[in-house]
Amino acid sequence: MIKALFVTLKNLFVKPVTLQYPTQKMPMTERFRGLVDLHTAKCIKCGQCVKICPTLCLDLATKEGADKKKDFGHFKYNMELCCFCGLCEQVCPTQAIYMGKIYEIAVYEHGKLHIDLLNAGKYDEWAHPTVK
Amino acid sequence: MTISILTFIIMIIVGVAALVFIAVSAMFLIWWERKVSAHIQTRYGPMRVGWHGALQSVADVIKLLLKENITPAGVDMLAWWFAPFFAVVPSVMVFALAGRDLNIGALYIMALTSICVLGIFMAGWGSNNKYSLLGGMRSAAQIISYEIPLILALVTAVMFAGTLSMQKIVEAQKDMWFVFHPNMAVAFLIFLIAGTAEVNRTPFDIPEAESELVAGFHTEYSGMKFAMFFLGEYTNMFIISALAAALFLGGWNGPFLPPVIWFLIKTYGIVTLLMWIRWTLPRLRVDQLMGFAWKVLTPLAFANLAVAGWVLLR
Amino acid sequence: MDYTPVKEDIATEEFWVNMGPQHPSTHGVLRLELKLSGETVVDSIVHIGYLHRSIEKIAEKRTYTQFIPFTDRLDYLASMNNNLAYVLAAEKLMGIEANDRAKYIRVIMAELGRIASHLFGITTFTQDLGAFATPLFYGMREREKIVELFDDICGQRLTYNYMRIGGVSRDLPNGADDKIKKIISYMRPKIDDLEAMFSKNRIFTARTKGIGVLTAEKAVSYSVTGPNLRASGVKWDLRKDEPYLVYDKFDFNIPTGKNGDAWDRYKVRMDEMRESLRIAEQAVLGLPEGDPTVKAGKIFRPAPGQAYMRSENPRGELGFYIVSDGSPIPYRMKIRSPSFSNIAVLPELINGLKVADAVCVLGSLDVVMGEIDR
Repeated sequence: MIKALFVTLKNLFVKPVTLQYPTQKMPMTERFRGLVDLHTAKCIKCGQCVKICPTLCLDLATKEGADKKKDFGHFKYNMELCCFCGLCEQVCPTQAIYMGKIYEIAVYEHGKLHIDLLNAGKYDEWAHPTVK
Repeated sequence: MTISILTFIIMIIVGVAALVFIAVSAMFLIWWERKVSAHIQTRYGPMRVGWHGALQSVADVIKLLLKENITPAGVDMLAWWFAPFFAVVPSVMVFALAGRDLNIGALYIMALTSICVLGIFMAGWGSNNKYSLLGGMRSAAQIISYEIPLILALVTAVMFAGTLSMQKIVEAQKDMWFVFHPNMAVAFLIFLIAGTAEVNRTPFDIPEAESELVAGFHTEYSGMKFAMFFLGEYTNMFIISALAAALFLGGWNGPFLPPVIWFLIKTYGIVTLLMWIRWTLPRLRVDQLMGFAWKVLTPLAFANLAVAGWVLLR
Repeated sequence: MDYTPVKEDIATEEFWVNMGPQHPSTHGVLRLELKLSGETVVDSIVHIGYLHRSIEKIAEKRTYTQFIPFTDRLDYLASMNNNLAYVLAAEKLMGIEANDRAKYIRVIMAELGRIASHLFGITTFTQDLGAFATPLFYGMREREKIVELFDDICGQRLTYNYMRIGGVSRDLPNGADDKIKKIISYMRPKIDDLEAMFSKNRIFTARTKGIGVLTAEKAVSYSVTGPNLRASGVKWDLRKDEPYLVYDKFDFNIPTGKNGDAWDRYKVRMDEMRESLRIAEQAVLGLPEGDPTVKAGKIFRPAPGQAYMRSENPRGELGFYIVSDGSPIPYRMKIRSPSFSNIAVLPELINGLKVADAVCVLGSLDVVMGEIDR
């Protein structure tokens, strides 16, 4: 019993390990899997990410564009369903689709969670964490 | 008996001052407890409101004041409504002694603090909740059992001082604190343990026993009624610590600093000790708790009392 | 007011108390119905199913690789071990074997995951005994080191999705083995500290010794596994008795208890953490070279057949039974989760105890609802 009291006393003078969250934020690790993002230029529209997604949260439609190349119809990302498993990132042959570092993903409207990956400024309003 | 209007006004002013002191002291204790516990757990605790969260309790009180006062269906209205007052009023009444001499002071304090159990029991019964009922039952059993060693420890101090008046007991310790006497050291320990049980703090917090009874007797209370129980609990803790300081640690005797400061230092020291224990130890089971009171603490207190009597009469 | 004279015998009544699904000590959404006579539990019914997500059915609609993230959500305190158990079963079905480096990495991850899980299990148990959050916070602080390491390696803190059929998703980053060694040397004194808080604590021993005694026969007949079984004195650990991966190459002991009470279950977990540290240390020292990663996009089409593989999770034996019909998705998957069997024994243990002890026994069994309800 006395031993236990000493353990707590010892810890009383240890510097607190918690962070003051909204003002102090933990840097994200290099491999952290946050919100899905897309390098539109790199994407070859192969649809592998759509196929492997366990929760069917990616939606890619292609159309025939100029000079008979495949072009984006739309590329939607339904974040409500996403389980952040990172399979899309790993399966992508050109590293076009990748997991960003954004982790503060609470919003007030459902609509905001249906993200258009082709829109370049889609994550401008979100908090971008620092990376280690 | 007639009292002039002036006396009446003075009485009201003193009463309000005492109430303010109680509220501020309880709020300070809540903040202090949150800080101590946080640092024991290597956290910061409240940091946002005021300097290191010093005004956090004020914010909490405002929140509790604004909260809806929920009355569950099927409560026993009388018991439900009066329980919070029974929990608070006796501990407030103890402060009538502050700065005044009463020739039966110790008896008066003991008599009042044991009324608190009524409030807890009424809350447990009136809430129409099985958890509350269990909590109320437990606390009735616990507080009544621990009252005996508590009073026996107090009686030891009374015997040494030869008086029931708190003032005179403290004066008797001018040369040497009672706690340095071996008899009184034992009594001090008994008093602390029984006092911890009396104010329902871990390891004797079975009336509230969060992991078993959700919140025990005040499960159903919300808003200001809940705040009343909280206030009562912390005031009781202050009273027990102040009593321990007065009876065993020489009260307001001490060099250099003014007496009030000495008294507060000692009181808050004991409060901090209680907090340290609370945030370290697990809780006892209800039968072990009762067994400890009746099989260990009470006989020990009686033996201690007998030895003290022998020492005094030798 | 009408007045009734006090009878010789005051009529007393037993009453039912509904504990959970929202209750501070039911570890999630377990619901217990306790019939109390005063403070004593005379009868109890365990209700499960509040966290059912039909994961077994989901498995029938996902390819073998796609199902790995779902195993994270079974026992959410030991996701790494679930990943491992599933990929082992899938590998057995397909006749694939991971290379040596992948196996060593898996062992390290599984053992660290076990420590993280046990830290949480023990400290929440002490929380149930009324040691207000303090030990819980210490446990969380220590666990945080492991979780951060996992974050470094696989990119998430709880839902790792790290194991792959035939390997792991990513190799250890540079300097990870030093980090693991550092964690191991950091963890040893911290575990001692945690034990100092409880093992010699009179209140703790009074609360746990002789409470909820699970005899060896009863444990076996209820198919209780893991630390709970070993606490009853049965020396059964798949890592030793049915070695998978490379566990047969390491030197470690299987801690067992004698009486099978709450104290033994606590103590076995404490000792197991130390053994896990030993295994992880040996594994990280003997880490071979090679490329443990596999391509995520590969579609597996195992031949029609079935496979059952079990592995030692922190809470007991987690088994996956997979039936394949030759298509890329499993025909049927059955998950044998340890907590499900462990919770079944609860009514036997708590009848006749006090309410406080019922909570104590529940905490000492260390069940996770995500695994029970699947």
